[in-house]
Amino acid sequence: MSNDLDDYSYDYEYLFKIVLIGDSGVGKSNLLTRFTRNEFNLESRSTIGVEFATRTIEIDNKRIKAQIWDTAGQERYRAITSAYYRGAVGALIVYDISKSESYESVSKWLKELRDHADENIVIELVGNKSDLDHLRAVPTEEAKHFSAENHLLFTEASALNADNVDLSFKQLLKSIYKMVSKHQLDLSDYSGNKPSAGQTISLTPTPGSAVGGSQKTKNNCC
Amino acid sequence: MSFRKWFKFVNSNEFIFGEGGGRGTNSNSSNTTSSSSPSLLKTLSHAFKEKDKIKKSIIADDQIKTIGASFSHLNISTENISSISQLQSLSSLNKNSKQSKRNSFKLDRYSSEKTTPRHSDQYTDLDDDWNADFDNGINIKSSQFLEYPTLRSKKSKQQQQNLYGDDNNTVVPTPETPKSIKEAEEKSALESKYNKFKQVLDESNIDLNKLKKLSWNGIPDELRSISWQLLIGYSPPNSNRRSSQLSRKRQEYLEGIKQVFSVEKEPSTWHQIEIDIPRTNSKIKLYSSEITQRSLERILYLWAVRHPASGYVQGINDLVTPFFQTFLNQYNKDKSISIEDFNPEILTEDELNAVEADTFWCLTKLLEGIQDNYIHAQPGIIRQVNGLKDLITRIDYELSQHLENENIEFIQFSFRWMNCLLMREISIQNTIRMWDTYLSEVNGFNEFHVYVCAAFLVKWSDELKTMDFQDIMMFLQNPPTKDWTNKDIELLLSEAFIWQSLYKNASAHLK
Repeated sequence: MSNDLDDYSYDYEYLFKIVLIGDSGVGKSNLLTRFTRNEFNLESRSTIGVEFATRTIEIDNKRIKAQIWDTAGQERYRAITSAYYRGAVGALIVYDISKSESYESVSKWLKELRDHADENIVIELVGNKSDLDHLRAVPTEEAKHFSAENHLLFTEASALNADNVDLSFKQLLKSIYKMVSKHQLDLSDYSGNKPSAGQTISLTPTPGSAVGGSQKTKNNCC
Repeated sequence: MSFRKWFKFVNSNEFIFGEGGGRGTNSNSSNTTSSSSPSLLKTLSHAFKEKDKIKKSIIADDQIKTIGASFSHLNISTENISSISQLQSLSSLNKNSKQSKRNSFKLDRYSSEKTTPRHSDQYTDLDDDWNADFDNGINIKSSQFLEYPTLRSKKSKQQQQNLYGDDNNTVVPTPETPKSIKEAEEKSALESKYNKFKQVLDESNIDLNKLKKLSWNGIPDELRSISWQLLIGYSPPNSNRRSSQLSRKRQEYLEGIKQVFSVEKEPSTWHQIEIDIPRTNSKIKLYSSEITQRSLERILYLWAVRHPASGYVQGINDLVTPFFQTFLNQYNKDKSISIEDFNPEILTEDELNAVEADTFWCLTKLLEGIQDNYIHAQPGIIRQVNGLKDLITRIDYELSQHLENENIEFIQFSFRWMNCLLMREISIQNTIRMWDTYLSEVNGFNEFHVYVCAAFLVKWSDELKTMDFQDIMMFLQNPPTKDWTNKDIELLLSEAFIWQSLYKNASAHLK
C-alpha cells in the first residue's frame, strides 16, 4: 500500500459518508477497492448487504476521510440497503457503459436517493468499464446531458485500468467539502437545535478538530 | 467472571486432554443418568464453581497464553499446569463439563419435539412422498450423542459407489504405513468412525437418529454424500425404496430442466444468475470449470423459477456449492487430488446428471427451511440478526455494550452471516464440516446457526472491545479465519451447542 493510500483513522478534520449504488455487476466493489486499496479483482464475489471501506485524502490542506458504503445491487436487497442512505452526504450511482439496462436503471436509483437520503446529498453519476469502449452501449454525451439536467456530477471511469477512479471520488468529495464549508459560513451562529448539513457530515468524532465534531450519540451510521 | 470465559476454559481443557492422551474424549466411557433441566443447571453450576477454583490455582493472572495457531482463542496453556494434582482437577472438570453437555443436549432434543419446523407453503412439490424421513420422528434416547472428535477426517482410497450410494463395495480406508504412534492412533480412530457409520448406513432401514448422532461430530468424506442425502430427507432410509426413488427424482429434475429451458428465460433472473456464477468461488479450480458453471446455472434457474416468492437471491449461489462439491466427490477416485482441483469432465453424462439432480433437490430441501431469508424484506434474516443481538447481550454483555457505544448495528456485520450461512467468512471445506452438524440438528440452518454466529462473534470479543467503529467493521468484514481447520469449526460448534442448550427456550419469558 502506498503512502498515498495510508489511512490515519483519527487524523482527519472531516468525515464524509458516501454510498455506492447501482445495478448488480456494474463494478461498484471494484471501484471501491481501486480507490481505497488500489486493487482490482475481475471475479470478486458479489456484495451481500453492505461492505465498508475508507480512505483519507487532502483537499485545501484539510484531511477528509471518506467512509464509503458499498451496497448490494440486487433488487431483493433494496429494503435492507436503503437504510444505509441515512447520514450519507454523497452518493455514486454507477452504471456499466457497455450495458444499457444498467444505465436505464439510473433514474430508479435517483428516485431511491430522493426517497431515502438527505435532500442535500451530492450525487455523481459514474459510467464504469470505460475500458470496454468497443462494446459501448451508452454514449458519453447522453449520460453527460442527463447528469446536467439532474444536477449530478459525471465521469466515466475504469476500475480495471484505474482511469478516472481517483478523480471520480475526489470530485465528489470536493463538491461535498465545498457545500459543507459554505454551510459552515452560513451557520457560523448555529445553535445546535436543528439538524444541519454540518452535522450530518460527522458520523464519528473527529479528535483534534474544531469543525464538524458532532456528539458521539449522534453517530448513527445507518 | 463472565460465563463465556468459563466456557472457553472448560472447552480448551477438553481439547487439550483429547489431544494429549485421548482421555475423557469418548462419551461412551461415562454414564449419563439424568436428563432433566434441574440436573443440567446443577451440573453447569458445579462446573462453574470447579472452574473458578481451578483457575485461581493455576492461572496467575488474566493474561492468556495461546496454544498455537489453530487454538489461538483458547485461554489455557499447558505451561500453566504446574502439578499433577492440578492435572487431576482439570481432568475431573473435563468429565463434568462433558456430562453437562450430554445432559443439555438431551434437554434440548426433548424440548424441541414440541416445536414444529416451519414449512413453506410457497411451493408444493407434486411428489409428496419424497420426504424421505416421514416415518422417523425426532426421538434421541441415547446418552452417547456427543463424542468429541479429536481427529480430522482424512481422505483415503475408496472404491466408487454406484449412482445410488447404497452398494456395499465401499471399503474401509486402506492403511498406509503409519509414521508415528500418533498417526497410527489417528488412523485407527478414523477407521473406527468409518465403521460405525458403515454399520448404521448398511442397515436395510436406516435409523436416522443414530445417523444424526454420529454425524453431529463430522462425517467421513467417503460417506458424506449418502449421509447428507439421508439427513436432509432426500434419500429414503429404506434401502428397498432408495434406488427407485432417486431415479424418479433425477428423472423429474431432468424433465423440469427440459421444460423451463424450452421457453423463453425470465430475463432478470437469468441475468443475475449468469453474472453470479463466474464469481462463485472463482478462486477454486472446480468452479471455473465450464461443466460446473453450466450445472450450477441450471440448478439455480430451475429453483428460482419454481419458487417465485423469493426467486433467485444472491447468496443462494454460495449455498448450492457444498452439495455440488460433496456429491461430486463420490467420483473423485484419486484421493491425492483435492475435490477443489477435480475435473468434472471425467464423469459420464448419467453421473453428472445424477450429481446435478441430487444437488438441486438437496438445495430445495435446505431452502425450504430458510425460505423467509430470501422473500421480500428478508424477514428471516432480520429475525436472526435480532436473535443474535439478544444472545450477545446475554452471553457477553460487555461486548454488546461496546458495540452499542461504537454505534455498530448488528445488521451491518451479521446480515451476510445469515444470508450466506457464514460461507463468506469460512472456507468451503470448513462449511462442509459445519453442515454435517447443521444437518444433524433440528433446525440447524436457521436456529442453531444463530448460536454458531454468536460463538463466532464472541470468539473475538477481546480484540473487538479494543476497537472503534471503523476497525470493528473492517475486522468483521474480513475475520482471520483463513487458516481455520475443522478443529476450529468443531470448537465453534460445541460452543454454539452450549449456548443453545442454555438459551434456546429461555428467551421468551425473559423478553
